[in-house]
Amino acid sequence: MVKFNVEENIADEKALVCTFQERMDTVNSQKISDEVVKKVQETKLPVIFNLEDVDYVASAFLGLCLRVVKEVGTKNLSITNAQPNVKKVFMMAGFNREINIQ
Amino acid sequence: MVDIKTDTADMIMQKAKSAAAIFSQLSQEHTDRITKAVYEAAFNKRVRLAKLAHEETGKGKWEDKVIKNVVATQFVYEDIKNLKSVGIVSDDKERGITEIAQPIGPIFALIPVTNPTSTVMFKILIAMKTRNPIIIGPHPSALKCSTEAARISYEAALKEDAPDDCIQWLSQVSMDETHALMAHKDLALVLATGGAGLVHAAYSSGTPAIGVGPGNVPVFIENSADIPFAVEQIIISKTFDNGTVCASEQAVIVERSIADKVLDHFRQQKAYILSGDEVKKLEKTAFNSEKGLMNAEIVGKSARVIADMAALGAPDDVKLLIAPLKHVGKESPLSSEILAPILAFYVVGNFDEAVKRCIDLNFYGGTGHTVSIFSNDEEKIKEFAFIMNAGRILVNTPSSQGAVGGIYNKLEPSFTLGCGSGGKNITTDNITAKHLLNIQRIARRRPNIRLEHFDQSLYFDESLDAEAIEEKFNRDY
Repeated sequence: MVKFNVEENIADEKALVCTFQERMDTVNSQKISDEVVKKVQETKLPVIFNLEDVDYVASAFLGLCLRVVKEVGTKNLSITNAQPNVKKVFMMAGFNREINIQ
Repeated sequence: MVDIKTDTADMIMQKAKSAAAIFSQLSQEHTDRITKAVYEAAFNKRVRLAKLAHEETGKGKWEDKVIKNVVATQFVYEDIKNLKSVGIVSDDKERGITEIAQPIGPIFALIPVTNPTSTVMFKILIAMKTRNPIIIGPHPSALKCSTEAARISYEAALKEDAPDDCIQWLSQVSMDETHALMAHKDLALVLATGGAGLVHAAYSSGTPAIGVGPGNVPVFIENSADIPFAVEQIIISKTFDNGTVCASEQAVIVERSIADKVLDHFRQQKAYILSGDEVKKLEKTAFNSEKGLMNAEIVGKSARVIADMAALGAPDDVKLLIAPLKHVGKESPLSSEILAPILAFYVVGNFDEAVKRCIDLNFYGGTGHTVSIFSNDEEKIKEFAFIMNAGRILVNTPSSQGAVGGIYNKLEPSFTLGCGSGGKNITTDNITAKHLLNIQRIARRRPNIRLEHFDQSLYFDESLDAEAIEEKFNRDY
């Protein structure tokens, strides 16, 4: 459901890349939330959420984003490869003011 | 300095924005499942919520509030359930126009004390059907029952995987917070049902608003009417929930030739006709002369209770108080809107005078709302309708139940009745789900053939007038 890799980000810094692989509805989001936060706490790196394969996000996934922001700060969470409808969700929710969404 | 009210409004609106974002992804099927779940949960609690509303507000009758709850859930759901509210809602190949329904965004719904559970359920249902998050702003005197209706609806929505916070409610009500929410930059719409002051504040907030103007409904019993039927229907309407519906009749107008017969039938059906002295007593009890409004203490009270408050000599089983009046205006306070089982009664000389008296009443605080006529003469009905300034002209119908739609006619069931420009509203419609959508239009190329074949240089020839241009523009078309 989610894979973790440490890669270099745009600034050539190491970052934790979380690649989500399914529809992030309420059930799936709740299933992976604690695991993602734990990994973020362990690595203490900037975080990238890769949403290439995600065509739906529930409120619980937005909640996960907020939990991660609390851990690493707004500047250290980025969302990449969001599909257009998913990008629109982040824009409508106003997340684009705080985090980088591509 | 921390502005607590603004901060609270910001928090509420952030949640609403997130809910709107999640809502935007939902399919029609998912949206309909949420709407159905909310309808069923709210409908199943119709009696408990009605009793709660009656206990908390002390207004109206719980049995009639059950009926209001039924209209707000079953009838509204029946009306909206097949509405296409997601994605493509129409596709006109010939005109090249495809219409797409989009949600409008977070809605702040102001709830009146007179319909505190039915209006909550109605507004939530139409919001869910259109994928809009909604924030319920209860009346301070109906806080418990309105928030309970919202809570029941929210729990049901969540069970169908609705977005978190798609339904929120204010657990405390303050004017500061209400104003902060109404003016919030992220709010899409204020759906304002309430007193004139609150509706005016909604319009002044800078946020688009759909409000309801005040009512002052005249009912004209025209000479061709079936008098026993008309009187029975008016009593059914004006005593429904003790007159709390803003579309309830406020004054009866009859021609002199049938006045005694009409009054006899009212008496037979347990209405009490006041003497001149009693009219004065009732004015003092029912009207707050300082505020220039009905006295809030008598709103939704029974005729019996009001008769006691005003020390009237009405019998114990009185259903309705009728005040014969001669004038409309400040000198006759009972000629204004009073949401209680009190009716003004006017006797006039002929049809034209009756219509003129109805205009007086219509323009004395109720323009755009509702008027009513009992008649079996289609020409008279039309003549009356053309002159009145009302969104709803009800014919041979109890106006309380008739105006809200779905029971006695095919008007769309609603607890927010648009009053057009007369009531400072944008529409005369009964507000429903379709008013909570942004309709986007894909407009494909369909050139104007006449323009393509027209010599456009002729537009620069000032000697050619409209008639000459049109003749050439439409040639061979």
